[in-house]
Amino acid sequence: MRTLLKLELEKLLRAKGFYLSFVVLIAFVTLMLWGFYTYAARKTGGGAVEQFKYTYESKQYFNGLTFSLYSLLFSFTLLLPIFVSMSAGSQIAGEARAGTLRMICTRPISRASLILSKFLVTALHAALLLTFFIGLNLLVGLIFVGWGNLELYPGPLNLVDSPGKIVRDEALMRFGYAVLSGTWALLVIAALALLCSVIFDSPVQATVMTIAAYLTLYIVGRVEFFEHLRPYFFTTDMDFWRDVFKPEIPWQSLWHYACVCGAYTTGLLFTTVVVFERKDIVT
Amino acid sequence: MWVKLVLLLLFCLMILGAVHFAQPRESDKPSSSAKVVHPLRLLTWNIGYAELEDDTRAHDKDLPAVAEVILREDPDAVALQEVTGNAQLNILLGFLHGKYRGAVAQQGKGDRFEAVLVKDAGTKFIPVAVGARYALGASFRPREDTQEVLLLSAHADAFNAARRRTYTEALIDWAQARAQSSEVFIAGDFNFELKADNETNFYTDNLKHDSESYSHILRHFRDLGRAAGNTAINDRRIDYIFGPPTLEQIGRVKVLRDAAVGRMDHWPLLVEVGL
Repeated sequence: MRTLLKLELEKLLRAKGFYLSFVVLIAFVTLMLWGFYTYAARKTGGGAVEQFKYTYESKQYFNGLTFSLYSLLFSFTLLLPIFVSMSAGSQIAGEARAGTLRMICTRPISRASLILSKFLVTALHAALLLTFFIGLNLLVGLIFVGWGNLELYPGPLNLVDSPGKIVRDEALMRFGYAVLSGTWALLVIAALALLCSVIFDSPVQATVMTIAAYLTLYIVGRVEFFEHLRPYFFTTDMDFWRDVFKPEIPWQSLWHYACVCGAYTTGLLFTTVVVFERKDIVT
Repeated sequence: MWVKLVLLLLFCLMILGAVHFAQPRESDKPSSSAKVVHPLRLLTWNIGYAELEDDTRAHDKDLPAVAEVILREDPDAVALQEVTGNAQLNILLGFLHGKYRGAVAQQGKGDRFEAVLVKDAGTKFIPVAVGARYALGASFRPREDTQEVLLLSAHADAFNAARRRTYTEALIDWAQARAQSSEVFIAGDFNFELKADNETNFYTDNLKHDSESYSHILRHFRDLGRAAGNTAINDRRIDYIFGPPTLEQIGRVKVLRDAAVGRMDHWPLLVEVGL
């Protein structure tokens, strides 16, 4: 198993897509910085209270931690799932496309171990992506925007019901928690993409199918027509990761949704193993 | 084989964990009901209809049911929204058997009015100009030994968050100026779309305006009905009763979800506080 993991890790580190994902995240942070900077300047400038007399948007509100939180929440929904899908979707289908899957399966290793090692490497990729992204945001926030407390208001980002605040050091800790909760949530996508990777022989097809399923559920879940279906979508359960940014973390709800996501992940992985063990590999 | 067994075991553990940590649904949660000595009981209710109807204002045929709820819950004062005018208010007061006095706000640009009903015979009704709209205040003493209470019945724009923000700012300025001499309560339909549960809306101007409006109110007032949950269909909490931040005793806080009749899309919110 250890040798398998080492081999899979080497493959991951040699893949161009691995580095591309980090480059795109850097580009996204740059874009966010520009948007945040101009927005903050507009909202705290002289004409900010022309139309309305009162606002909570001040120089104190716009700080590096707020920037990091906005950047993370905006990217988590659409950007990170794409990279995780790409990484997991190419695991088995990529081997099939390259013609190496049959050779790998002739080695004295169980197919289940192969799936597990590929999943663990994908999980590592997801964790690295999130750690890198959060670290970069905090660094950029510190250098270009400056630090302060994390002020939260109801409405934007939908985190709180009433105004709240997390002091700086505690907020930094919460970003650390977000690496764990965010990675755990992304594992559902990784497991789904791995299943698609076993079903389809093309990595592109596996990735596209995963993203299509994710986006469909995500969008349908946001349409009021289907609000009664919303609790049954994994995309709804995945949202639990953001709870670590609430002033009082709702631990019971967080553990509930973490377990639901865990059930999706392990259920999908189990299915993947069963399907892969029965698969006739002809490539 | 062991991989499959481990996965299956983990799957079962996760299911058990999910069941163990599951929380009761909002509708299963008990409403707040602490006992308050000498309570002031306030009720707010938008008695208009949902958007699908031809006339979305309150309907005369529903007034007996509205009166029945008021008589049953026995509030000291009631803030109503979407009343069609004085004539309709008089019909409602008739159903209340002279137990309440009432008034409607001045007519603004719209075709519907806010109204206030109060038990106290010495109540003074005060028109409140809030931009192009009007709210209505009622100043009264629930008991001889209490400070004067000022209840405002308000209704913010349903379709435009920027207008809601302007309205809220003006209303709070007006209320703040009177907070020294009276215990000020603001009740009504503010139409804020701020539900935080499991939503992932991207940052929008509308959301920002509602956020600014609500946060501005909370700088000076306390949201007394928060614990009671949704007040309108489609899981919306858009009706509020705000009170002084220094209030120490809050008693029963309840949304009367069985009270709506006809095609009403709001439920009354009842709040009991100790003065």
